[in-house]
Amino acid sequence: MRYLSGLHTIRPSALRLLDMAYLVVLLPLLIMLKIPMLLFVLLVFVLLIFQKSPAKSLHLVLLFLFGMIAIYLSLYGAFSFKGLSRLKLFIELLIYVLLVVVALQRVTQRINFYLLISPILLLALSLFFYHSMFMLLYVILEIFFLLWMILAHRMQSDLRESFRSSMLMFMYSLPWVVVLFIFFPRISFEHATYGFKGETQKRMGHDGIMYLDTKAQLVPSERIVMEIGFDTHLPPSNTLYFRGSILYLDKNDHWEPLPQTTQRKKPAPIKTQDEALGYKVTLYPTQKRWLYMLDMPASPIANAMLDADLITTVKEAVKEPLHYSARSFVQSSYFEMPDTMTLGAATSFSRDQNPKSYRAAQRIKEDFTDPKERLSAILTLLKSQQLTYTLKPDLLDINHSTDSFIFDKKQGYCVHFASSFVTLARMVDIPARVVTGYKADLANSLNLYLSIKERDAHAWAEVYLDGHWVRVETTSTAANIDAQTQTALAKQNKNKLLNTLNLYLLYAKYQTETWILHYSNLRQLQLLDYAKSNPRFVIIFISSLLMMVLITAAIIAYISRPRFSSEQLAVLQPLLAYLQKKGHLRQNTETLHQYLLRYNDEHQKQSEHNRLLLQVGAVYEKLTYANNKEDTDIKHLKALVRRFISLEND
Amino acid sequence: MKSLRTYIQIHKTTKRHATRFSIVVVVLLFGLFMEAYMHDFNLVYILLFFVFSLAFSAGPIGLLNLGNLEAVFKPSGRFFAQQESMISLSVQNTSQSHSWSIYIYHNRLQVAFMPTVKAHNTHLVQLPYTAQKRGDFVYDTCYLESKYPLSTVRFTREITDKYHGIAYPQPKGLSLFAYIQQHNANWGEEKEFDGLRVYDGSQRLSHIHWASVAKGELSVKHFSKEAHTQNLHFNFETLEGNPETRLSQLCLWVLECEKHHLPFSVAFSHKVLHSNKEGIDEILIWLAHY
Repeated sequence: MRYLSGLHTIRPSALRLLDMAYLVVLLPLLIMLKIPMLLFVLLVFVLLIFQKSPAKSLHLVLLFLFGMIAIYLSLYGAFSFKGLSRLKLFIELLIYVLLVVVALQRVTQRINFYLLISPILLLALSLFFYHSMFMLLYVILEIFFLLWMILAHRMQSDLRESFRSSMLMFMYSLPWVVVLFIFFPRISFEHATYGFKGETQKRMGHDGIMYLDTKAQLVPSERIVMEIGFDTHLPPSNTLYFRGSILYLDKNDHWEPLPQTTQRKKPAPIKTQDEALGYKVTLYPTQKRWLYMLDMPASPIANAMLDADLITTVKEAVKEPLHYSARSFVQSSYFEMPDTMTLGAATSFSRDQNPKSYRAAQRIKEDFTDPKERLSAILTLLKSQQLTYTLKPDLLDINHSTDSFIFDKKQGYCVHFASSFVTLARMVDIPARVVTGYKADLANSLNLYLSIKERDAHAWAEVYLDGHWVRVETTSTAANIDAQTQTALAKQNKNKLLNTLNLYLLYAKYQTETWILHYSNLRQLQLLDYAKSNPRFVIIFISSLLMMVLITAAIIAYISRPRFSSEQLAVLQPLLAYLQKKGHLRQNTETLHQYLLRYNDEHQKQSEHNRLLLQVGAVYEKLTYANNKEDTDIKHLKALVRRFISLEND
Repeated sequence: MKSLRTYIQIHKTTKRHATRFSIVVVVLLFGLFMEAYMHDFNLVYILLFFVFSLAFSAGPIGLLNLGNLEAVFKPSGRFFAQQESMISLSVQNTSQSHSWSIYIYHNRLQVAFMPTVKAHNTHLVQLPYTAQKRGDFVYDTCYLESKYPLSTVRFTREITDKYHGIAYPQPKGLSLFAYIQQHNANWGEEKEFDGLRVYDGSQRLSHIHWASVAKGELSVKHFSKEAHTQNLHFNFETLEGNPETRLSQLCLWVLECEKHHLPFSVAFSHKVLHSNKEGIDEILIWLAHY
């Protein structure tokens, strides 16, 4: 509280308080204002700074005209009566009108009812446009600040006193807010799709097409693609494959999925004894239609399509953070009876495209008849070629990419390994396909939280064996990692402390977003279900609430504790409290000396009492006014106060 | 338990009235609820719950802010009809926390404002009051009001204490000095010069000692006969005007005599009051009640 001592002398006028409130609520809105409106706001600021007297009628008319022009230009092209049905546009217009009205009233320097209530209206309207963790913190700050300004106006005191009072009120209301937030019944409406929440920047990582040429230059990016919260446990590291797309068609320089026009059979549900693992995903804007599910998806995601290859897509590209719940069987294969079209695509290859590879495959085919042995032989072949994993490989001969990778350049990364493996597998008559998606790193996990970054984009293969599509980690056939890649990877892990801190920060952010920003009726039900089956959780939950109440009570007690301007006054406090308790109240014009003398006059006691009280007054005055005060005087005063009270009580 | 009992007592004795800002809060809550519920915006929910909780907590805070105040009237000065005077009201804060933004109302008119009443402290307020006519009056229907903290609720607490006062006739008419000049005979003749006195406005102009004026002091010559032969006798019946005018005139002279420490007597048809016997206040009360 001593840091607030500077506020002790500040007593802003009602207009200044309003100005401060408007500044705070306008800050987030300034980001969304169009240039003409920004200019209008700037003009008003300049007017308020330089125009000391109330604006005249002519100024008001000019300002009004300028405001109208600013609104017109800001909404030019977007505005039509039909457009008003778009809520975002309507709210934007509302904010602009409100700003003009507030500006017109403010320059008159007269406070009216509308000027008083507009800050809270602007705050409420700004929430249509922002829905982030930063805004959450800012909203809490705004609420506190507005409360402070209201109290400063009402109390007509200095800013420190009003700050204390607003802090008290804020603390009183905090437990209620938390309880209401958790238990207030919600409905499951989707978040509105308007606003500036979505990112327009395209993210790298997984793509529906897998390039092998220069387009495949890999930039390891730390940007988060998605965040996952598992319901019960985190799966092992070697199972964290998130399916993106299945690629069948080798187009020399890239791989493609089957055309959308291809008639495929509908996906059959996976039959297994295992229990599906539930998890919730926050997918950040990818500008693509894929939703990622852990291998192997158990059931379709709501409002999304699951195709025959267990790939999930939505109708429109993901342009804003998307939240979905999913369930998967954590396994590396699944049973399927593919249609002939799929099998045909998974076995097609060009004999002439990669002659060296074809010859090697033929030798394997001759040596082994069992598909599993052939598969093993392919992996052995790849390993024997001493392939190097590198993030910046030399360009392959794109017309003979598999030959170039295995027998010539011998360096590449996941896409080259997967592509070559699938080609070889098809050459030995094993149906195979490339899978692209993400392979999560457990280093980016904490408790049940897992974050997936762009650099986790990965490609692997699936082969069809014994009626099952089986996952094959093709990059594991690499024998070496080149120095540059090693350095790049080492760089990422160099500052472990920073990485850990970052992870904790991400975890906190994720938990905040999950339990605050995206708290919904589903979460309420989840809490309820969990509470039903877990009495320990109920105890912890109630204890946490009680703890919060205790903490706020402690803060309230701290804020509302008596304050003393000097140490001697603090020492004197028990005596003053005792006298007050006895009904001897100090008049506002009375000095301490007069107050103590009056007590002696009104309570004729033994001379010892009177003498002690006079001594108290004398020592207090010495400590307050004299130059020759000593350190022992405080102790003396303390002893006198204690003695007087004990004597009175006797 | 004691605190709870105190709170209940305060709750009973303090009235709450909604202000137009409470309507704003209700409208705001409804709007925020619609915004939050229709779009599932948790930030709006948070704002909604904060507004609700703050408005909710404003009740007890405002109640305690006003409820811990005890107001009693204190003896005040003299009151005269048609003249503004001050009634002293002692406002005592019995709680450990300050009380803020306290207004005092009388007959629904704001008569005083106290920005703060410190904890365990007493604040003395002067309330202006103008008695319309002479005689006894009771200053009641007073109450404390505060809109602290959020202006959404207006808390009022009646001041149960009443101030019983008496308004004397409005002092107006001919000044005592003019009266003395007109009735010079009552003062007897001047005899021996008895030194200089400070001029206080009541002496004759012809007695001004111009030599002292030249030195910068305003003195008058004093004659021994004046003091001994002074005989101020006011007769209600012989005064001009209606009874109220006459009472006002007497009141003015009584006050002027008091100011100049001059003994006097006031004669009514059945009673004569002597300043040496009855005292000024008693004479004024007689005038007020006449």
